[in-house]
Amino acid sequence: MQPNQWVMAAIVGLPFLAAALTPLVYRLLGERTAYASAAVAAVSFVLVGQLAITDARGLVSWTWIDAPGFDVALSFYVDGLSLLIGFLASGIGILILTYSGGYMHEEPGKMKFYATLLAFMGSMLGVAFAADLIVLFVFWELTSISSFILIGHYTGETSSQYAARKSMLITVAGGLFMLLGFLLVAGEGGTFQLLGTDQALIAQAESIREGLRADGLFVPALVLIGIGAAAKSAQVPLHIWLPNAMEAPTPVSAFLHSATMVKAGVYLVGRFRPLLVSDEWQLLFVTMGLVTMTVAAILAVGASDIKELLAYSTASHLGLIIAGFGVIGAGANTYGAETGAFHILNHAAFKAALFLVAGIIAHEAGTRMIDDLGGLWRELPIAAAVTVVAALGMAGVPPFNGFYSKEFLFEATYELAHASGGLWWILPAVAVFGSVFTFLYSIRFLMLFFGEKPDALGHVHAPPWSMRLPAVVLAVVAGIIGIGGITGAAGVHIEPLEAFVSQVVDATAIEHGGEHGAHFEYYLPTELTVPVLMSATTIGLGAVVYPFYGQLRDTIVRLRSVPVLSANWYYDSAVDGLDRSRVVESTIQTGLLRTYALVLLLAVSVMTLFAYAATAVGLPSFSGIVSPVPMVIVLGVAVVAAFAVTRAPSHVAGVLTLSILGFMVAIFYILGDAPDLALTQLLIETLVLVLFLLVLDKLPPFYGEARRSILARDAIASGIVGITVFVTVLVTTAANPENRIANFFLERGGVPAEHGTWILDYGGGANIVNVILVDFRAFDTLGEISVIAMAALSVIALIAMRERGETQ
Amino acid sequence: MMGSVLAAGGEAGAYVPAREPQFVLAVVLGLLFALGTFLVLRRDIVRVVWGITILSQAANVYLVTMGGLAGSVPFVGHGDHGATATTDPLVQALVLTAIVIGFGTTAFALVLTYRVYEEHGTIDLTEIGDTHE
Repeated sequence: MQPNQWVMAAIVGLPFLAAALTPLVYRLLGERTAYASAAVAAVSFVLVGQLAITDARGLVSWTWIDAPGFDVALSFYVDGLSLLIGFLASGIGILILTYSGGYMHEEPGKMKFYATLLAFMGSMLGVAFAADLIVLFVFWELTSISSFILIGHYTGETSSQYAARKSMLITVAGGLFMLLGFLLVAGEGGTFQLLGTDQALIAQAESIREGLRADGLFVPALVLIGIGAAAKSAQVPLHIWLPNAMEAPTPVSAFLHSATMVKAGVYLVGRFRPLLVSDEWQLLFVTMGLVTMTVAAILAVGASDIKELLAYSTASHLGLIIAGFGVIGAGANTYGAETGAFHILNHAAFKAALFLVAGIIAHEAGTRMIDDLGGLWRELPIAAAVTVVAALGMAGVPPFNGFYSKEFLFEATYELAHASGGLWWILPAVAVFGSVFTFLYSIRFLMLFFGEKPDALGHVHAPPWSMRLPAVVLAVVAGIIGIGGITGAAGVHIEPLEAFVSQVVDATAIEHGGEHGAHFEYYLPTELTVPVLMSATTIGLGAVVYPFYGQLRDTIVRLRSVPVLSANWYYDSAVDGLDRSRVVESTIQTGLLRTYALVLLLAVSVMTLFAYAATAVGLPSFSGIVSPVPMVIVLGVAVVAAFAVTRAPSHVAGVLTLSILGFMVAIFYILGDAPDLALTQLLIETLVLVLFLLVLDKLPPFYGEARRSILARDAIASGIVGITVFVTVLVTTAANPENRIANFFLERGGVPAEHGTWILDYGGGANIVNVILVDFRAFDTLGEISVIAMAALSVIALIAMRERGETQ
Repeated sequence: MMGSVLAAGGEAGAYVPAREPQFVLAVVLGLLFALGTFLVLRRDIVRVVWGITILSQAANVYLVTMGGLAGSVPFVGHGDHGATATTDPLVQALVLTAIVIGFGTTAFALVLTYRVYEEHGTIDLTEIGDTHE
């Protein structure tokens, strides 16, 4: 069944509409805006659910420009993968917005916060369903922008500004790399349509790969798209923006920076998997994913702040997903796709829950430092229960949810190594090594709730239900997935869940046939296989090392402080280096108008003269004065008036002589057969004179004496400008191009009488200039009116606002 | 109906006067631009506004010059009386818009000058520039 157009439009459009209306809603509801926003998210969620349940799959498209070669359309595509991300964005959106109702109680800027969160949700839904590369890119960048606004929520804090700028620089720059990659792929395929039609890029994947290879562009396209995904999904070494992004209020961290936005990168990898599948693909993404998984897990162990720990852990788990999607090798590709698809879901459930718990801790205990926290279960029993389910899922301990997806990764790396041999054996080893650290920091997070409560920690309040409930819901979801594994071992599967994950796997499947329709199922292993052994090793090693957690952390912190080893050091040095280019700025940007005017006018003049010289434009020979005598006299007076303006002893004298110039120009228009212009000029000139006199009355007389050297310099500059204009006028008036646009109007104006008086008949006017203004170039006239309106508004603002004392 | 008439506009025709090098206007415009530039470079904001006014007047004159000065007024029916060429109506339409917009910017610049004087107590651009350093 095809998805309904209106349902699709509502899913993506409704959050944006709600965001636009938020200022209004906020005025009516105040803090309860949170729940109204959650209701909007709920509508999107229900609609996504409706698509999923009614089996609506396929393309929805609105064509905008339908010319050959310019097929511009807003198109969306519904399949398993897009539904998964859509469920996450809207479902977690409901929980986060509800949670914000409690969390944001005493925070500033709530209106902006909710509007941006809603706009983000819409953008994320757009990314999920986009079927066109340009649509995808636009929504992708919108998520970056909303993330920027949300990270910089506390606009006054230096650390927020730093974090927001950092995330913007990295993710938007990554997006531009991705765009370049898109252009390479689209250039080869001849369309921007990614999915849904017979000519879509994915449908002709094979020929695109071959074509790109033939041009030597395959690896560049792959790497460019990979950089985009890596920047968004915080892959090493572009992970550095994510820990700083924790400056944002905790609901934002839970929503954007763990469950949804950072999933855009892995989504991209999943989406492009069928298109760009190759050995290079596997090498790039498996390496990137496993390196990130390990490095970020190690850094998470070194964290001292609970949100920092969760941030690194998020990067680490995204690495796991990317590694999963990266595996395409013989026999292991299905496991790879299953790792990616299933872990997106599992990670969103447990990580968002943990972030919400972190928010509760920070909110109620007043600190986020790991060393200051402990024994919280007495005061926060519900949060403790949530953490048990979520943190053990994160650690990959059976039977909690993260265990199953990690098993798929182990299986995939093992199968790959088994089939390919050699260096590929590093993969399972690295996967286990990285997982040990994952286990360690998960347990450390869990231990915040157990053990002794530090004396310094005061009384911890119980959080409001609006904050507890969302965390509980997520933990229940994670828990159910876990229980599904236990019952799965007994042969009772959660059919809807497994069927849904199968669809996600299908969407990222690389060969339509073998994998297609393969049924996904997961269960607690009942016999000893290699992956089970790998999990056992992970947990065993973790349990042995855990007592030395403190020493381990100190070592990591010491290593991290070595500049060369820290990616942040490179970022900061680069940004500092760019900042130093301000030296150039301060010499050019003096704050003096004359500097700008001088540079601008001289640059234009010199470039124009240079262009004439380079193209060897010849000056026309002097052929006598073609202008009639009255015109020469009028223009002569105009020049004298202009001279007088520059020499005017007072402002009033200057304005009067300026008027003479203006009236001379009006007479010039009369002589030049332009009656409309003459009329307008006379009218405007009179108005300007009155206006000048009104304003001058309020201004002091000022006789700017200038030094002789400055006068000389200005005279030379003016001379150069004058010469440029002189040459330009001569060259252009000597040229006689054919087919001038004016002929079009003149023919219809009855200039050769045989064409008839079309302008008169259809334009309703005999004056061709007027007909042009109101009919042919009506938009120009509209623009002109708008300019006058803007000027009038600005004048009112400049004068009236001052008088109301609204400055300083 | 409209479409078919519009489509007939492709024929080449020369109803605008042939251009000749305008030496007088070249000299006049060169001088006006030079004087306008000189004023823009002054310290007194009012003089800067004058300079901008002169520059925009000169630009308008230049555009009208490009439309050909030797034709007849662009009115329907003028062709009947033996005139072979008409001044360019399109240029005139553009300049008309430009004159009005020029008025808007001049008015805005003047009020801005007034506001600057209120804020800074001076209309000397050098002083205003210095306070920001």
